[in-house]
Amino acid sequence: MQVIDISFIDAFSFLMWLVASFGLSKIFKKFNIEGWWAFVPGARIYWLGRCADREEDGKIAMVFEILTYPILLSGQLVNPDLEISKYLALLNIFFGIVCMIYKARICIDLCGDLKVNKNWAWLWVFAEVIPCLVWAYNDKYTPNKALLRYNGLDPILDDELLRSLEENVDTTDSGLAVKIKDRTVRNFLDKRYLLREIFMNVPPGHMVLLLGGSGAGKTTFINAVTGYEKANAEILLDGMDVYEKYDKMKYSIGFVPQMDLIRSNDTVYRTLYDAALLRLPSSTGLIEIGNRVNEVLEQFGLSSVKGSLVEKLSGGQRKRLSIAMEYISDPYLFVLDEPDSGLDGVIARDLMRRLRAIADQGKIVIVITHTPDRVADLFDDVIVLAKDSKRTGRLAFYGSIDEAREFFGQNSMEGILRLINQKDEGGEGRSDEFVLKYAERQVEPK
Amino acid sequence: MTNEANANVSSNNSSSRRSPFKLITGGHRGRLAQIPIYLGKDFRMFIFQNDWKVLPMSALIAALIALVVGENMYVTMEGQFQCSLALTCVCIWNGFFNSIQSVCRERPIIKREHRSGMHISSYVIAHLIYQMFLCAMQALITVSVCKIVGIKFPTEGFITQWFLLDIWITIFLITYASDITSLFISSVVHTTTTAMTVMPFMLIFQLVFSGGAFTLSGPAAKLTNLTISKYGLVALCSQGNYNSLKSVTLWNTIFRIRESSPELKEALWQIEQAGQLEEILARSGEAMQETAYAMTKSNIYSCWGHLVMFAVIFAILSIIVLEFIDNDRR
Repeated sequence: MQVIDISFIDAFSFLMWLVASFGLSKIFKKFNIEGWWAFVPGARIYWLGRCADREEDGKIAMVFEILTYPILLSGQLVNPDLEISKYLALLNIFFGIVCMIYKARICIDLCGDLKVNKNWAWLWVFAEVIPCLVWAYNDKYTPNKALLRYNGLDPILDDELLRSLEENVDTTDSGLAVKIKDRTVRNFLDKRYLLREIFMNVPPGHMVLLLGGSGAGKTTFINAVTGYEKANAEILLDGMDVYEKYDKMKYSIGFVPQMDLIRSNDTVYRTLYDAALLRLPSSTGLIEIGNRVNEVLEQFGLSSVKGSLVEKLSGGQRKRLSIAMEYISDPYLFVLDEPDSGLDGVIARDLMRRLRAIADQGKIVIVITHTPDRVADLFDDVIVLAKDSKRTGRLAFYGSIDEAREFFGQNSMEGILRLINQKDEGGEGRSDEFVLKYAERQVEPK
Repeated sequence: MTNEANANVSSNNSSSRRSPFKLITGGHRGRLAQIPIYLGKDFRMFIFQNDWKVLPMSALIAALIALVVGENMYVTMEGQFQCSLALTCVCIWNGFFNSIQSVCRERPIIKREHRSGMHISSYVIAHLIYQMFLCAMQALITVSVCKIVGIKFPTEGFITQWFLLDIWITIFLITYASDITSLFISSVVHTTTTAMTVMPFMLIFQLVFSGGAFTLSGPAAKLTNLTISKYGLVALCSQGNYNSLKSVTLWNTIFRIRESSPELKEALWQIEQAGQLEEILARSGEAMQETAYAMTKSNIYSCWGHLVMFAVIFAILSIIVLEFIDNDRR
């Protein structure tokens, strides 16, 4: 063991780091990030990654940078003649190289965002103090757009309105009652709101279109409603709390993912039979299971191919099999994520008619589709989710298709999407306006 | 108005309809009952997804090894060591290839099924059973091919009555431990590309730190305790009674330099003429004995135990890792 020896070079390096940190803190402020993060070793590279829209790289660089600190300290404490010091040095070199590569990737993108020549990135990697100071104190270098922070509250709806909306949801009625206060996710050093303030009642027998632009929170909404990813919410299915009884109720909720997640080298019949074994109660007899499988195969027009391997099926048949796998347990709430993706108009419509038939049995069917207008007439209602100015998913409308057209003043569902999408996504960016308008409409005396 | 539109109108009034919702109160298939479902899937994959191809592949590799280094197995220390190391590598190769892609290739499917009520432990246990079958078959094929190609195995067993059964158990355990190690890797990584990138590193690690191929010292020597190859090599050498075999290294070296000295050449000739060569080789073998390769039951049981332990640890780790599959991003 030896006493830590601080040389002139160490002191100079620390001073440079400190000066760079002051510059970096100013750059962070330009990106709408608290400046003090620049003085936190490790965390600063993560935030730099966020600025450059390279969050994953920022995370990795942060982890490796943090790992180097104990090694550096050990290197100071351990006798350099010991064999372990060689291994520590090797590790340090390895971690240093990884950090440098990720830092370079982040800085190259940061240059693009600050509209400077990308060669500056190399200067940043080897002598960060120079670009830190130049970019910080020169107003010419401003980011294309400030980083959107999610941890600040920016309410569109006031408390009184929210209370009224929540009270409006009938939790005793049959069907689906949704009371989502918010759905947040803690992501490393930041907390994000994915969804906020969604209240509605979906009656049984309704086929509902879930409409929303990219990143509006459609999948998050579905996961919250089905209980797969719990939100700060109350979800009731015929008065029963989905979150409280999830283990039992998950078999009454079917979710069909966007991709056909089926083993391609198994037969259609065995795929469905195994799905039935998993999803039906263990008290169901094997003959009964066989009958149910045949019944569902018939219902989805797959009887003629039941002996075929899944890989031999057409796109439409695979999609129907994927739906049948969930439908086998006769779910009451049936949610489908883009079941018509990759299908032509005729096949997509045929598929939607089958879903309509399921809803007509009194079930609730919720469908996400990116081509809503070709099948809009088959739906009873539409849920419009919109990304607000803080990039949080909110309810912009829930009601019948005709009401939606009237509410938004548009003839098509795609027209509605254009209206609510953010400007940088080719939309008109009017989501906040419609979120408020719809909320006020909900609490209006009828 | 079309018929579909009429249907739509009628369904708009369905909110007053009585709800068909009934909560399923009965239990669903538990962990044990789900194992046969996935076992059935695995065996169907064996036929339909060409998993069976690993069997002829193992025969081919075993034949190559037996032809190249099999001649001196159970004859000389050097032959025994080379062949044991080669066989260990073959088993590790087979095991790694069996399941390196088996989980990661269907990761999104596992996530979907987990959401629908699948138990991860059932899924992994089904894999363990299926891979056990696969490894047992590969071990059988490897031993059979070695025998057919001409390796002269001893007849009397040391642990069991039959030597071939002893060897089969060792080869099976090396393959199975490697198989479950790669099952774990396959459970950790998210894509087949990553899995296939990691695999060569694992193979190199096993070879370098087997403790046989290279002389290791210090902390590196301790790493050998973490490799399947070490225990496989030790078990195979012990079962082949390595320490009782003759060593030819010394004799071959001296023979090569005989021309440098007429006296040395003469001495070697006299030894050969006097029929003392075998005695010299045996004595040379005695000097080369390794305590690690002692043919004792405790030594072999210890190796087998370690190999089983590897399989058990990695199986448990696979279950733990896959339990977090819901955190996978879209």
